[in-house]
Amino acid sequence: MLENFGYIGIFLIAALGFAISTITLPILLRRFHIVPKKPNPVKSSTYECGMDTVGKSRVQFNFRYYFYALLFVVFDIQVVFLYPWAVALGELKLFGFLEMLAFFSILIVGFLYAWRKGVLEWK
Amino acid sequence: MNLYLLAPEISLCALAIVVILLDLFIGRKWILGVVAVAGLIVPAAFTLALWGVNETSFNGMLVVDQFSLFFKLFFLVIAALVILSSTDYSFKFSAFRGEYYALVLLSAMGMMLMASTRELISIYIAVELTGISLYVLAGFLKDPKSSEAGLKYLLLGAVASAVLLYGMAMVFGLSGTTHLNEIAASIPAGGLLANPALLMGIVLLVAGFGFKIAAVPFQMWVPDVYEGAPTPITAYLSVASKAAGFAVILRVFYEALGPLSLDWGIIFAVLAAITMTLGNVVAIAQTNIKRMLAYSSIAHAGYLMMGLAAVSTLDPGALGPSGPGALVFFLAAYALTNLGAFIAIIAISNKIDSDEISDYSGMARRAPILSLALLFCLISLIGIPPTAGFIAKIYIFTAAVDYGLIWLVIIAVINTVISAYYYLRVARVMYLGTPLSEERVPSSWALRAALAFACLGVLFLGLYPWALLRIAETAVSIFP
Repeated sequence: MLENFGYIGIFLIAALGFAISTITLPILLRRFHIVPKKPNPVKSSTYECGMDTVGKSRVQFNFRYYFYALLFVVFDIQVVFLYPWAVALGELKLFGFLEMLAFFSILIVGFLYAWRKGVLEWK
Repeated sequence: MNLYLLAPEISLCALAIVVILLDLFIGRKWILGVVAVAGLIVPAAFTLALWGVNETSFNGMLVVDQFSLFFKLFFLVIAALVILSSTDYSFKFSAFRGEYYALVLLSAMGMMLMASTRELISIYIAVELTGISLYVLAGFLKDPKSSEAGLKYLLLGAVASAVLLYGMAMVFGLSGTTHLNEIAASIPAGGLLANPALLMGIVLLVAGFGFKIAAVPFQMWVPDVYEGAPTPITAYLSVASKAAGFAVILRVFYEALGPLSLDWGIIFAVLAAITMTLGNVVAIAQTNIKRMLAYSSIAHAGYLMMGLAAVSTLDPGALGPSGPGALVFFLAAYALTNLGAFIAIIAISNKIDSDEISDYSGMARRAPILSLALLFCLISLIGIPPTAGFIAKIYIFTAAVDYGLIWLVIIAVINTVISAYYYLRVARVMYLGTPLSEERVPSSWALRAALAFACLGVLFLGLYPWALLRIAETAVSIFP
């Protein structure tokens, strides 16, 4: 038990060491004038190699996206289950196939529900 | 892996799906309630067919024995009564009837799983399955109080789950397994004081499960949620959710932590004393009948915990039933009694559109049968013969005396006397008050049937308790 926690201790020390060194190293290098300080507008912009931001960050989304997000999560999980299932289908045989079919049919009930309740229509 | 052992749960899940699908494709919504109640016969039949089986499945995660089967049947009966009593209430959310019935069924499935898993992670999943359905149901009405109830229940329930998981993690860390029977084998010698981490794990488990059964000091959610939730769901919460909590506690503490029974027995004894006292004293000040029954439900959690405190001993000289046996009997008696009271309240509140006790004035003249049923259930909640509540209290007090908890029984008896005051106050208002109007209170046949079942059950258990007590003792005989 204690040995296992020992591993965690080593990881903890390594993680702390990494965090501390990456923060202090640039400061120290700058302090000892090893790194020169030559700022220019491009360097000090927020995203040096990205687009400049436009407008406010608090944009209002249409509430309907929420339903799509919910449905997306459901089908995302379905796909997550599908991959390992597809890989192992050779060993799972018919039982695995039927089990996935049961899982699918439950998800399809959820999809039917969303459809009949008019979630998919953009009114 | 034997799927037949899981047949009650699978058929119940299928029933919930059928209800959802029917809701989508048929116009006459009253059929949904009929299908939901009639369909419950299938899982109930599977449960009865499994009676006598004693097997585990799914790598020991699922266990089918008398204990789990008893509770499965118990939850199915309660779910049926709740759905029947909802027929008079569902006009308040007529667009969402299918979802409502399906959620009631799904939470019943979660409770059935709670009673029949013997592995910590499966227990957690079952607790969440029950909880999430109930969070939605608590906020089912679209008024501010119901939304508050739903949100409060969700947030506090999430905290309780986190505490429960932390406790499970502690126990797992010390034993290296999540299977209850293997945990029991790996409990270190030397008692709890020598193992502070295990003590902390047990305290966290008690806190997590204490939320489910509404024990003080984890009872803060109870009054607000009970008041705001739809009344049938309040009944469901106060009866089924609590019973599921006790079933899990019995399973976890007897199977996994049995060697430490001296330690956790005293925890439950102290919690029982505090819970029943606080519940009864605060109930006196309530003017809303749902809030009053919420505090009464807290007080009853205290009485019920006496059955946990009176750890079962194989003492041949014992006067009465064992602690767990008395606890299971009390749960059944309390379930019928409380459901009866809430069903009567549903019918009356529908008419007068209020839950204030003062508005019940003179109800005996406007609704003689409903008032009589409510009075009968209140008498059973106090514990006066010839009702189930009386017998249940006798059994659980005897079990506590047998275990040597005289001080706890004295506190419980004093509490029973206090409780008579606020229960009978409702009766006084109903029978001696002047009616606010002369209009009769209507009720549907479904609600009347559920009320009659509950009240006749209370009377039957009050006059002839031995059959159920024998079943209860058989159910808990699986515990060492």
